[in-house]
Amino acid sequence: MDSTVIIFILIYLLTILISTTELLPMSLAALAGALLTAWFGIQYGLFTYEDTLSFIDIRLLMLIIGTMIVVEIAERSGLFRVAALYAIKFSGGNPGRLFVFLCVASAFVSMFLSDPTAMLLMAAATATITKLLNYDPVPYFLSATIMINLGGTSTLIGSVSNMIIGMEANMGFTEFLVYLAPCEIALWAITILTLYLLFKPRLGKKKTLPEYSPAESIKDKKLFYKSMFILLLLIFLFLALENLNIGPEGIALGCAILGLTIANLDPAEIFKELDWETVFFITGFMFIVKGLERTQLLNDISTQLFQAAGGNMLNASLMTLMFSGLASTVVSNIAVALTFVPIINAHVTPGVNAAPLWSALVLGTNLGGAATPFSGAVCIMAAGALKREGILVNFKDFAKAGIVTTIIQLGFSSLYLLVRFWLIGG
Amino acid sequence: MNIKKIKEWLRSRKMKSEEKYEETKKEFEMAMGKPFITIKIELPNGFDDLRAHFLSLEKDEQFLDEVRDLIKKRLVHERRGVKQPS
Repeated sequence: MDSTVIIFILIYLLTILISTTELLPMSLAALAGALLTAWFGIQYGLFTYEDTLSFIDIRLLMLIIGTMIVVEIAERSGLFRVAALYAIKFSGGNPGRLFVFLCVASAFVSMFLSDPTAMLLMAAATATITKLLNYDPVPYFLSATIMINLGGTSTLIGSVSNMIIGMEANMGFTEFLVYLAPCEIALWAITILTLYLLFKPRLGKKKTLPEYSPAESIKDKKLFYKSMFILLLLIFLFLALENLNIGPEGIALGCAILGLTIANLDPAEIFKELDWETVFFITGFMFIVKGLERTQLLNDISTQLFQAAGGNMLNASLMTLMFSGLASTVVSNIAVALTFVPIINAHVTPGVNAAPLWSALVLGTNLGGAATPFSGAVCIMAAGALKREGILVNFKDFAKAGIVTTIIQLGFSSLYLLVRFWLIGG
Repeated sequence: MNIKKIKEWLRSRKMKSEEKYEETKKEFEMAMGKPFITIKIELPNGFDDLRAHFLSLEKDEQFLDEVRDLIKKRLVHERRGVKQPS
């Protein structure tokens, strides 16, 4: 291994270490890593300054920012809060039903909101209702965390890692649904059942719910309906315009502009609330991975991975699922997705159906994020919210639910890949 | 690189998310529990010598009962359709 490769590996590992431990803000760590990549890459003649201009995928950033704007408008209108309020109301004070509805609501809001934002919303909902009904909040909190991590696995905009994989694999909104929706629906059911069995003795007894109307909590009805329209339009256009040569980034940005125009909100206020930390982290990390790609290291890893799989696509898919799933339990799934994309791409040749590999990567990066209290931002936020409520949840409690559900989810996903791509075909 | 400043920034970010959490929780409490209001009242001019007493009113149950009575009276008037002086 020559010194250039060693330097690039060090930059990559240091960035992951610093951003995971939050020694520096993750965006700063990735941007500093990108700067070092550019400096050493140009000095060692690995690439030129002009080459580096193509290292950043503007289409991906447009998709992420456009989606963030649409979702931010919807969040301001209270759309997701109302959904959570209805979920609680429909439970009728039955703890089992409340548990299931909170789980479903958590997964549902996470299909649109980023995981930390969804966690903030559902943690607040869970804290309020469990306090009102005098229930133990721990089972409800932990289950919401796990469901938020799971929600949105089968949609292009369900998570940032999905957007990264979708753009690189050229997988549209429909393909995501066709390949992954059956798996996600089954995973929702299996995970809720597992969590229910795990926490059943701690859910509490039936109580009377306070009388309330979720619709009354809508502060601005016009904004509420407009934001709902924009969100539905976004999904409709993703489905309808796929064959018209308009990329998802164009649709997302178009809907964002339309949303800003009709919502009557100050765009500067909306822009201020976007998750720029994630946007800059992706920008920097994408650059680092491109640099690493130029050393041919990722190509070599790809070759070895497929050799280890015996050249068999099924084995390679299962290995991708397991490796990316395990890596996501300790590292940000965005970093895992950005790293695995060139590894898979190196193996994709014309005529090869790479859908099983991409699907395995989507599942792996989405499922590994809630195994332990330190697996991702959403787990850290859940533990923080519980602490604020004066409830200390121990590592064992968290890891028990997280590890059990992660193992079941990864096991089921392996079976799904086998059935979906080898028994059914496609 | 000033590590202290970065740590401060990280802390402020955490506080911002905690504030947002409290805000969101308040919205849920308003929707599901009994509605409540939070009023900010400044120390009236010319009472600087009673600053400590003024601040203690926040936890003075007798004073809070008086405020609750005042609100009740106002709501009763509202229900009867009596116009309130603004």
